[in-house]
Amino acid sequence: MSAGLGWGGFYTARDARFQRRVLLWMLTFALAYVAAAAALRFRAALPAALPWLAVGAALALAFQVTRSYVQFLRGADELLRRIEIEALALGFAAGSAFAMLYPLLVRLGAPAVDGYWTALVMMLGWAAGGWLGLRRYSSRAGQSFGPHQGGSGQSLGSHQGGPGQSFGPHGDRPQ
Amino acid sequence: MKNRLRVLRAERDWSQAELAARLGVSRQTVNAIETERYDPSLPLAFGIARVFGLTIEQIFEPGEIAAG
Repeated sequence: MSAGLGWGGFYTARDARFQRRVLLWMLTFALAYVAAAAALRFRAALPAALPWLAVGAALALAFQVTRSYVQFLRGADELLRRIEIEALALGFAAGSAFAMLYPLLVRLGAPAVDGYWTALVMMLGWAAGGWLGLRRYSSRAGQSFGPHQGGSGQSLGSHQGGPGQSFGPHGDRPQ
Repeated sequence: MKNRLRVLRAERDWSQAELAARLGVSRQTVNAIETERYDPSLPLAFGIARVFGLTIEQIFEPGEIAAG
C-alpha cells in the first residue's frame, strides 16, 4: 500500500517504479533505433550481419517496451489507468485521422510527408490526452487535502451537488 | 454517483493521503471520488466500505441517471 507520489499525487510508489522501468526501456530502444539507423546507413563499410543484428535488437527492445508498458498499465492505480487508456484512445484517433486524411490534403497541395509523421501525431495525441486527463482529474485550486478538507466556504462546483455548494469546517455535507 | 467519503474521512481525522494508503490507491483517486468526478470500480468500492466498516450502500448512493 502506498500513498500518491509523483505527478500531483496520481502515481502510487508502484506506479512510479513501473513507469521508471518503461522510460528506461524506451530510452534503451531509442538508442538501439539510432544505432540500427546508423548501421543501415553505413552498411557498406560494416560486416553483413551487423545491420541485421542492430535491427533485430531494436525490434526486440520495441517488444520489451510494449511489454513493460502493458505491465505498468495492468498494475496501475485505477484512475491513472483510465487516464492512460483515454490518452491512448486519443492518440490512436489522432494518428488514424492523420493517416487517412493527410493524403487528401497532399492532393490539394500540402507537402508530402513520410510515415514517421503518423507515429509522431499518435505520440503527440497520446501526450496531449495524458495531459488533459491529469488536468481533468487533478485537484482544483483552493482545495486542501487535510483531514478537515472542505473547510469553511469551500466551493466544489457543479459536479459536487450544485454550484456553490459548500461544506462545513468538519466536512459536513448540508442536505 | 454521490458518496459520503469526505464526511467519513473527516470523522476519522484522516487525510486523503492516509486514506489512499489504506486503500492502496493514489491520493488523486481519493480526491476524484470525493469530488464525484470519478466513480470507483466495484473492488475499490468494497475496499472503501471495508476500511470504514460500512456497507457500500451506506457510503455510495446512485446518481440521477442510475436512479432513473
